[in-house]
Amino acid sequence: MIRRAAHQLRRYRARSVLGPERYVFLAEWRNPPRSGPSGLGLSVGLSLALVTMLLTLPSVLGLYWTDLVNDMMIYAVLALSLNVILGHCGLFHMGHAAFYAVGAYTTAILATRFDVPILLTLPLAGALAGLFALLVARPIIHLRGDYLLVVTIGIVEIVNIALKSNIFGLTGGANGLLILNPISIFGHEIVSPVDFYYFILLILAVTILLFYLAQNSRFGRALNYIKQDELAAESTGVNTAHYKLAAFVLGAVWAGMLGTVFAAKIETVSPGSFSYAQSVLLFAIVILGGPGSITGVLLGAFLIISLPEIFRDLQNYRMLVFGAAMVAMMIFRPQGLMPPGRRRYKVGQFLGRFPAGAALRRNKQLEGADPTALTDPADLPSLADLANGEGKGR
Amino acid sequence: MKKLIFLCLAIGLFCIASVASRGAAADASAADVKIGLMAPLTGSYAAEGEDMRRAVELLAEELNKAGGINGRQVQIIVQDDGSDARTSAMAARRLSTQGVCAVIGTYGSAVTEASQNIYHRSNILQVATGSTSIRLSEKGFKLFFRTCPRDDDQGKVIVNTLLGMGFKNIAILHDNSAYAVGLAEEARDGLNKAGGMNIVAYDALTPGERDYSAMVTRLRGTSPEVILFTGYYPEAAMLLRQMRATGWNVPMLGGDATNNADLVKIGGAAAVAGYYFVSPPMPGDLDSRVAKDFIQAYRSKYNGDMPRSIWAVNAGDAFNVIVEAIRNVGDDSAKMAGYLHASLKEFESLTGPISFDAKGDRVGDLYRLYKVNDSGEFVLQPRQ
Repeated sequence: MIRRAAHQLRRYRARSVLGPERYVFLAEWRNPPRSGPSGLGLSVGLSLALVTMLLTLPSVLGLYWTDLVNDMMIYAVLALSLNVILGHCGLFHMGHAAFYAVGAYTTAILATRFDVPILLTLPLAGALAGLFALLVARPIIHLRGDYLLVVTIGIVEIVNIALKSNIFGLTGGANGLLILNPISIFGHEIVSPVDFYYFILLILAVTILLFYLAQNSRFGRALNYIKQDELAAESTGVNTAHYKLAAFVLGAVWAGMLGTVFAAKIETVSPGSFSYAQSVLLFAIVILGGPGSITGVLLGAFLIISLPEIFRDLQNYRMLVFGAAMVAMMIFRPQGLMPPGRRRYKVGQFLGRFPAGAALRRNKQLEGADPTALTDPADLPSLADLANGEGKGR
Repeated sequence: MKKLIFLCLAIGLFCIASVASRGAAADASAADVKIGLMAPLTGSYAAEGEDMRRAVELLAEELNKAGGINGRQVQIIVQDDGSDARTSAMAARRLSTQGVCAVIGTYGSAVTEASQNIYHRSNILQVATGSTSIRLSEKGFKLFFRTCPRDDDQGKVIVNTLLGMGFKNIAILHDNSAYAVGLAEEARDGLNKAGGMNIVAYDALTPGERDYSAMVTRLRGTSPEVILFTGYYPEAAMLLRQMRATGWNVPMLGGDATNNADLVKIGGAAAVAGYYFVSPPMPGDLDSRVAKDFIQAYRSKYNGDMPRSIWAVNAGDAFNVIVEAIRNVGDDSAKMAGYLHASLKEFESLTGPISFDAKGDRVGDLYRLYKVNDSGEFVLQPRQ
């Protein structure tokens, strides 16, 4: 693919002045790429096939496998929400189960004590989880790497112990709470795995779309910048504390809303479902799949949730197989199964918009020289400009 | 290219595994009776789950050797609930697609709860073995039973024991944990209802402290004849030690949270001697002939190991009642449930006679009274 593109396009590989990451800029002002009708037709056909497959999947799979796919999708969305914090911003956060728990318990408490319809508690669960994240993450946001990791483990443990000890008499202790009323959409009750399949599929689709947009927005680029080099990001005017906190809150809001879905699906919430081990599982999905990559995280969720179930009939050995598979993957693919590709930008879009770009164009006009001969990275828009949101991604 | 290879590998792995799992599930003949066992084979209670599996497989093996149920062999299908609600729901889904007529399990209450609705909707009889939460049998599920006691049974047994001891003044002490408060309230309400006993003190201590002498002095001031402590073993041991150190030899009674060998280690054999506690019997203390035979067979099959707790033996009970129901009315779940509710009376099983009430709870006391002797051993007291 890349080789073919190289024939059409002149390729620049520039090392950013500030960050260690190399960025590829595809210069296309000479030969603009043509999107042939045949290629377009193929992708429309493919996506139609994919949509049809996804919509008819439950009738093919049967209840057990459908329920497994449901679990996979729930974990995929959860892992995508963790991916914002861990994958994009590079914050070692191993306490995601705490936010998930806040959401699930918000729903359970509102539904059992105040008879609030489950669907109405969805935004509330997200908001409360986000608020909780804001409160606990604010004082620790300056911690780096493993220090942050230890503190977030502490958070999930504290939440778990608080839930177990029936805090404020609300959480029902170790046995948790029982949810009696199902989710109801226009009078249709979501009870069977097939109902849940479509409900969760919708959530997954919306999540992927929103997180894809976020990843390519000014916000997403700023998070990536912080991940690559926090000092450089800060020195070029990225408010790192603000963005890190925003990543935490966004991830927590999503995890909280998924807590509602989980609570409605399993019909009972208990502290055991939100243990430290759950956080580790989510962490593993992101690391295994490829931090920062949506497809990678989806694949990670698929593998981590389905493998133990697929090997269910091996009984005791299933976790052994699962563990061995994980070790093997980490040895052979330490960067994750599908790490994110490099960000690509069309240099043509930037021409004339920055001093460097203007210089480039001036050079071209004045000297009539081949602009690809310019290999000085300083002539190209720097990562700092991109992170500041001056350029348009993609 | 590399990505593609890994994707292919992953998909290949998935395919192999799903074929393998189909093959494993398909090797039973149609004439067999399939009974599911849902147990925590992994996770924090893996040891309990392993004992449950061993107990049920041992009984199934013996039954099949003796000719099965009316000539039909019994096949046990084991699924891991991972000591976790989500895994348990998946295990329940899996079992309900594997043609089982009844399911044994499981251990934790919250874990059982996550599977209950699935069995209920798939019309499968469930007999829980270690889930003591009251709520489980209050949902009106006709196909749910359990061979373990409920959380509120212990309070009733404590009240009966105290009444039988013939004391007039009692002090009740808890440690503010949900478990201890629940038990203390149960005992207080039971005693008030029964009448004849005077609660002179109702108080809480802070768990984890080293010095309870202030509490001991305060209690002594109310001059109780017996003390009920509903908390856990470390505090019970410290209390006993500090009471005996001041020469106060008032009898003390506790719940099953003090059934722990460390009670004697912390308190010292001299101070703990004479302490009473109420607890389900330990597997080695089961005194019926059926139970003794079972324990002996268990030990000879599994290299001299004992079941670690009574809950694994309860899984054996669950197996026995299911087999008894199938033997009498066949493997239709509604008929089996009807039989267990109405016709099964005082069925002689491992942990004693079993009957079920209308909610599917076990009738009769599983709890027994233990007394610590002078050398620090826990001695089962005969039934009163």
